[in-house]
Amino acid sequence: MSTRALPEAIQAPPSRRSDGISGFLFALPHLLLFATFVLVPVLYGLYISLHRWHVLAKEHPLIGLGNYGAALSDDIFWIALRNTIYFVVLIVPLGNLVSLLLALGLASVQRLGTFYKIVYYLPVVISIAVVAVLWRWMYNTEIGLINLYLGTVVGWLRSIGLPLAPFEPLPWLSNPSWVMPSIALLTVWWTAGGNMVLYLAGLSNISDDYYEAASIDGANAWQRFWAITWPLLRPTTLFCLVFSVLGAFQVFGQSYVLFTSIQGGPQSGPARSGLTLALYMYLQGFRQYEIGYGAAIAYLLFAIVLVLTILQFRLLSNRDDATAKA
Amino acid sequence: MRALLRVLRTRFYPVLALFCVGLFTSGCSSQRNSNNQTTRTSDGKILINFWNGFTGPDGRAMEKMVARFQKQNPDVAVRMQIIPWGTYYDKLTLSLAYGGAPDLFVMHAGRLPEFATFDTLQPLEKLYATAQPPVQESDFAPVPWRATFYNKHQYALPLDVHPIGLYYNTKLFKEAGIVDAQGKPEPPHTFDEFLNAARRMTKDTNGDGRTDQWGFVFTWQRTNWLTIAGQFGASILSPDGKTSTLDSPPNLKALQLMHDLIYKYKVAPKPEGVDAWLAFRQGKVGMALEGIYMLASLEEQKGLPFAGAPVPQFGPMKAAWGGSHLLCQPKGISPQQSEAAWRLMRFLSDDSLIWARAGQVPARLDIRRSPQFTSLPVQAQFATQLPFVQYEPLHPKSNAIFPLIEPGIEAVLLDIATPEAAMRDASRRVNQVLERP
Repeated sequence: MSTRALPEAIQAPPSRRSDGISGFLFALPHLLLFATFVLVPVLYGLYISLHRWHVLAKEHPLIGLGNYGAALSDDIFWIALRNTIYFVVLIVPLGNLVSLLLALGLASVQRLGTFYKIVYYLPVVISIAVVAVLWRWMYNTEIGLINLYLGTVVGWLRSIGLPLAPFEPLPWLSNPSWVMPSIALLTVWWTAGGNMVLYLAGLSNISDDYYEAASIDGANAWQRFWAITWPLLRPTTLFCLVFSVLGAFQVFGQSYVLFTSIQGGPQSGPARSGLTLALYMYLQGFRQYEIGYGAAIAYLLFAIVLVLTILQFRLLSNRDDATAKA
Repeated sequence: MRALLRVLRTRFYPVLALFCVGLFTSGCSSQRNSNNQTTRTSDGKILINFWNGFTGPDGRAMEKMVARFQKQNPDVAVRMQIIPWGTYYDKLTLSLAYGGAPDLFVMHAGRLPEFATFDTLQPLEKLYATAQPPVQESDFAPVPWRATFYNKHQYALPLDVHPIGLYYNTKLFKEAGIVDAQGKPEPPHTFDEFLNAARRMTKDTNGDGRTDQWGFVFTWQRTNWLTIAGQFGASILSPDGKTSTLDSPPNLKALQLMHDLIYKYKVAPKPEGVDAWLAFRQGKVGMALEGIYMLASLEEQKGLPFAGAPVPQFGPMKAAWGGSHLLCQPKGISPQQSEAAWRLMRFLSDDSLIWARAGQVPARLDIRRSPQFTSLPVQAQFATQLPFVQYEPLHPKSNAIFPLIEPGIEAVLLDIATPEAAMRDASRRVNQVLERP
C-alpha cells in the first residue's frame, strides 16, 4: 500500500463519498469528545429529570414531569428566576455599553494600543473563582478596598469644604438590595474585555471613507458616531447582545464563590438575594443530592434560554434582511 | 486505504452507538461498596481510608492520634484524608453512592439519619456486642450515645460533643466593671445580666458618632438561633417529624428577642458587612456565642484576653446547641477491614483526651471526669451544659430544611421581615419538603 497509495492519491481526484468520509474522520475527535462530554450527559440529564432521583437512593422511580411541576410551584425557583432576570437586565446593557466605550476609546488611541487592549482584556482570562475571591475582599464593608477609597475621597472632599455627610461604609454584599448590582459590577469588570475585542473588530470594518466624507460635510464627532458608527456597527452590537444574554442567564460562579461560607459551603446570599437559577440547580442537585429536581431546573433554564435565543436570532436575521434590502 | 474507510463506514456507526450506550449504562449503574474485598498495602497491611473534615488544629490532633494508633497496630495502615467541611459531605455522598467510599469516616449527629435512611451505613451491633474490652452505654454521655441510633440500629461510635458556649472578652468586662467581689470578670447567667453587661460594653470609643465596640455579636446565626429557640422550648419539627413547628409562639419569641438585641436594645450590630467572629477576635466585641471548636482560633489570637462560660439563660429553660462527631463505617465493608476500622474507632475514643485539648468535649464519661479534662478551663465550662445539649433535628431531611430556614432568620436579623412572616414562609417551604417522599 505504501508504495502505490501516494501516486494513486495524487493522480485520481478523490471521489465525493471518500471526501465526506475523510471530512467525517477529521471531525471525529471532536465528535467523540462532544458526544462523551456534551451530548450524552445532556440527554442523560433529561432522563434523570423525569425521575425522583436522590443520589443515595437505590431506586429512582419514574415520575414523569413531577420534578418540573414541583419546580414551577416552588417559590424559591421563582425567586431565583427573578434574580437571574434582574442580573440579565443589569449586565447586558451595562456590559455592552462599557465594552463599546472601551472599544471606541481604544480605536482612537495612537500609541500603546496593544498594551491597552491587553490590559482591558486581561480580566477575561482570569478564572471566575479568582475574580470572585478578589472582589469578595474588595467589597468587604469593613475592611474592603472600595469602601476604603470611597471613604478617603469623601473625607478629602469634606476637608475642602464640600457639604457631604460622613462616609457610611456601603454594604456591597451584605444588604439584599445591593447584592445583584454588586455582582453585575464585578461581572462588567470581568467580561467587558471580551465584547470589547468584538466591537474593535466591528469598528475596524467600517471604512475610513465614510468618516472622511462626513468630516468634509462638517459633521461633528457625535454626528459621525450616530450616523456612521452606530448603524454600521449594528451586526456586531446584535451579536454581542445575543451572546451576553445567553451568558448572563447562566450566571453561577459569582454567587457561588462570593457567598461560600466555611461552615456551610455555598449559600445564596443575604435573604437569597444572590440566588440565581444556575446556583439553585447546583444547590438542589449537589448539596441536597436531589439530582432529578436539579436536572429539571436545568432543563427549565435551558428552555428559557432556547426561546430567547430563537427570538434573538429571528431579530438578528430580520434586521440583516432589512439592511440588505435597504 | 479505501478498504479501511469502507470498514470504518460500515462499522463506525454501530460502534459509536454502542459506545454511547456503554457510557450511558455505566453512568446509570451505581457501584456500591459491596465487594467485600479487603484492601491491603503492598507490604500486606490492612489499608484503612479514614475521612474527616478537621482542617484546623483539630486535624493536627487527629493526625497525632492516628500516628499513635499505627505504632500500636503495625498490621494496619491508616490513610487519613482531610476534606474541608464545606465539600466534605458532597464527596462522601458521591463515594457512598458510586464507589470509593472510605472505610471509616466522621459524620455529624445531625446528618446520620439521612445517610442511615438510604442504607449507606454499616450497622455496628455485632462489633459492639463482641467488643473486648466491652463498650457500653454507661461509658458515654447519653445525648451523643442516643444520636448513634437510627430506627433501632446503631450505626456509629460517638467521639465527642461540641456544644456552643459563651466566649467573653475579660478585658472589656473589667473595663466596664462587670466583676465579682474579688474583681474577677463575671460572665452573665440570666438574660437581664447579659443585657446589662452588653449595654455597658456597647459604645463609641473614638467619638465619631458610630458605635464601634459592641456588647454582643451574632456569629453563626444557625447555632445562635437553635440555642435561644431551644431555651424558649421551641422545636423545629413536630414530634412525629411530619410537620414544621417553626411558626409556633416559642420560636417567634426567640426570634423577636434576637431581633431586639440589634434594634431595640442596640447591643449587637446589624449582621451586614460585619465579620462578626473577626470583630470578637480583634477585641471589639464583649460576648459571642460560638462552638467549642472555635477555641483554637481564639488561642491563636495574640493578646486577646478571653474566657468561656455556659450560655446565659435567655428563655424559661436551659438549652445549648451542640453537635457531635460520630465515627461510621460504610455499608458492605469487608469483615476484616471493618474489624481494623473498629480498632481505630475504639482507639480514638479511648485516646480522646488529646482530642479534647484541641477543642472538644469527649463523649466518653471517664475522660470527661478525668482531672486532665476538668483542668481545661473553657472545655470544662462548656462541658457543664452536656445534660441539656440539643442537636439539630435528628431527621433524614434535616440537611434539606436548613437552607429553607436560615434565610428567614437572616431576614429577621436584617429587619426586612417580621418573625411571623419569615417563619410562616419557612414553615410552608419546610412542609413542602417534608411531604415529598
